[in-house]
Amino acid sequence: METFSDFQCPACKQLYLTTNRQLNDNYVVTGKVFEIHRDFPLAGHAYSRIAARYGRAAAALGKFEQVEQVLFQNQEKWEQTGDVDGTVASVFSPADMTKIRATVKTPAVEAAIEKDIALGKTYSVSQTPTIVIHYKGQTFPISGVVGYDALHAFLDQLLSSR
Amino acid sequence: MMQSSPLNVPRAVVWLGRLILGGIFVYAGYAKLAYPNHNLWPWFLLKFSVSANLSTFAFQVESYKVLGPGGSSFVAHTLPFVEIVLGLLLLTGWKLRVWATMVSAILVGFLTVVTRAYLLHMDINCGCFGTPEPLTLMTVIRDATLVLLALVMTIFAYQEARKPHPWTARQ
Repeated sequence: METFSDFQCPACKQLYLTTNRQLNDNYVVTGKVFEIHRDFPLAGHAYSRIAARYGRAAAALGKFEQVEQVLFQNQEKWEQTGDVDGTVASVFSPADMTKIRATVKTPAVEAAIEKDIALGKTYSVSQTPTIVIHYKGQTFPISGVVGYDALHAFLDQLLSSR
Repeated sequence: MMQSSPLNVPRAVVWLGRLILGGIFVYAGYAKLAYPNHNLWPWFLLKFSVSANLSTFAFQVESYKVLGPGGSSFVAHTLPFVEIVLGLLLLTGWKLRVWATMVSAILVGFLTVVTRAYLLHMDINCGCFGTPEPLTLMTVIRDATLVLLALVMTIFAYQEARKPHPWTARQ
């Protein structure tokens, strides 16, 4: 399952807070679903791309979840000030932040984001959040804030189908 | 001599209002159920798509910060069906004054919340037709135009109802 998301998008925050956490606990941790975060920063959001870079840089340290959590939980603050760096720094040690800041500036990070955007376009992703579920050769793109109950029923139906 | 003509202005406005507003209401309700996820088969996928679309619409309603999560969810799960039914009733013309009044009231409600959000500079989607559509001045102008049409249609519907029907009136 691929989640095309934008850290500055309120609907993505809603999906993260209400659905993805439960999904993680009940399907990802138990090994039923393999979830991949995909960056899809929208042009209308001034700080989406820089936030995506910090996410990527933290992922290089194996600490993506921490960035995801702090950026979504404080979205309304940093989208006003643009202080993505300060928001991320609040949950990392100075040593980690030094590494993250260095990685943020590398072309590889930008290239990875562009790769995700290009991949999203192949699935006709036009809005965030969009979840793309792959199962037995079939692809199901689902846009918008999917409630956990609906997703849970859908996944169970899918997993039980032969 | 006929007392009124099928081609008089009030009657034409009522017809236009019925067609335009009825069509828009039916489409708006359908779009909220069918978009952004439009999967018709198999059944469980259709059910999931509609559920996801209504969840997305509930989020859009909540983003206006007028209703809480419970109220937004209730509105999201009832409004699309109300819009479809009201739109169809407008198109049939049966008990027009009742449905025209209800449509006018709903549109005044929409215009109020949309104008409030615009004046508060809320960066949100309108939630009008299922797909993401940023709320701008154009949204307010469009809603105001629909309110004007609905109100004029309703007033003319009441006025016309007092007159004898042109085809049944005595010569």
